[in-house]
Amino acid sequence: MTMIKKVKENLFLVVVALAYMVMFITSPAMGIESVKSSGYYIKEMLMIMPVIFILTALLDIWIPKERIMQYLGKDSKVKGIFLSLVVGSISAGPVYAAFPMCVMLHKKGASIRNIVIILSSWAVIKIPMLINEAKFLGPKFMCIRWVLTIIAIIIFSWMADKIIKDNDLPGEELTQAGLHINRGACLGCTLCANNYPELFEMKNKKALVKSYKTLDMDKLENVTKSCPVKAISYNENKEM
Amino acid sequence: MDIFTLAIWIGTLIFLGFSITKDKVKTKQALKMALGMGKGMVVSILSIIFAIGLILTLIPPTKVAAFLGTQSVLLATIGGALLGTITLVPAFIAFPLVGTLIHAGVSVVPTVAFLTTLTMVGVVTFPLERKAFGVKFTTIRNGLSFLFAIVIALVMGVMI
Repeated sequence: MTMIKKVKENLFLVVVALAYMVMFITSPAMGIESVKSSGYYIKEMLMIMPVIFILTALLDIWIPKERIMQYLGKDSKVKGIFLSLVVGSISAGPVYAAFPMCVMLHKKGASIRNIVIILSSWAVIKIPMLINEAKFLGPKFMCIRWVLTIIAIIIFSWMADKIIKDNDLPGEELTQAGLHINRGACLGCTLCANNYPELFEMKNKKALVKSYKTLDMDKLENVTKSCPVKAISYNENKEM
Repeated sequence: MDIFTLAIWIGTLIFLGFSITKDKVKTKQALKMALGMGKGMVVSILSIIFAIGLILTLIPPTKVAAFLGTQSVLLATIGGALLGTITLVPAFIAFPLVGTLIHAGVSVVPTVAFLTTLTMVGVVTFPLERKAFGVKFTTIRNGLSFLFAIVIALVMGVMI
């Protein structure tokens, strides 16, 4: 059972591994070629991911929720759109580098629309890329495509915002009474179990709340804040 | 390392230094958090990277170019957009390639469709994006990006 569950959780990895096996059996040369071209992307990842993780964590800790809401939240309007476009455009690295950053921003109150804008512009609008494009396809081609892309992003982010609700995103079932861990979002980083072992434990590589009588609110707040995916929530008011 | 990556590194290191002087405990917590995020993503990212390597070997960019050049505009546009979603060609390969295509007289529409979906829509990054944002968000963002990539291509066809 656990085996099946593990396969299911890492389905993509399993598929890729199988594909490589098939390839190495049928055509070893092509297999080697694939590994080689993966090398470039591994380098690309190592150059950018560590710094993105650190930056995300630092921003998470130092920038208060109210600030994020003010600049990127639902009522940020044109200011939010502009800021999101800028954040996406000056970024570096592949689009998946934007994921942890955007998850953090959304948890802190950035709107769906602005998240879509950051992700999309992070993917398409890169200044080094634009320079490259102008070089090979001409400045006119580059400028027109750039302007059209920005218009497209502004329009479809608005559409996405109309369709997607905040609670469609994982980790948003935060309104349950009492202490709650969103185990779907939990990464198994053990931070909570280490910082507050009386309350949290690890089970099947995910955090679990132990039964408790009293809560150390300072400690709990600390743990809630330090969770990288904000999977821990405590709702005082609704507790019965 | 391009200048933007470098700038992010420098900026973050300054931020980190600032953070340490202000609150050591908080900073340590942030670093732990960063490590936790990294651990949570590393397997997914590596699967993506190896999938990209595989796809690049199976569908080499030169083959894509040949395909875009020989089909009718309609077929090449849809095909180009679809091929763009499954592959992830680095920009420094994609632009020269598309450049030669356009100079060789291939219509602008399929090449733009290919260029835009190449970066904005990702089939290989889908599992990771879904993990982070859920199925609905990921499907809608990628679906809309795909549609608008074709719209951008069509408009560019008229303008250029």
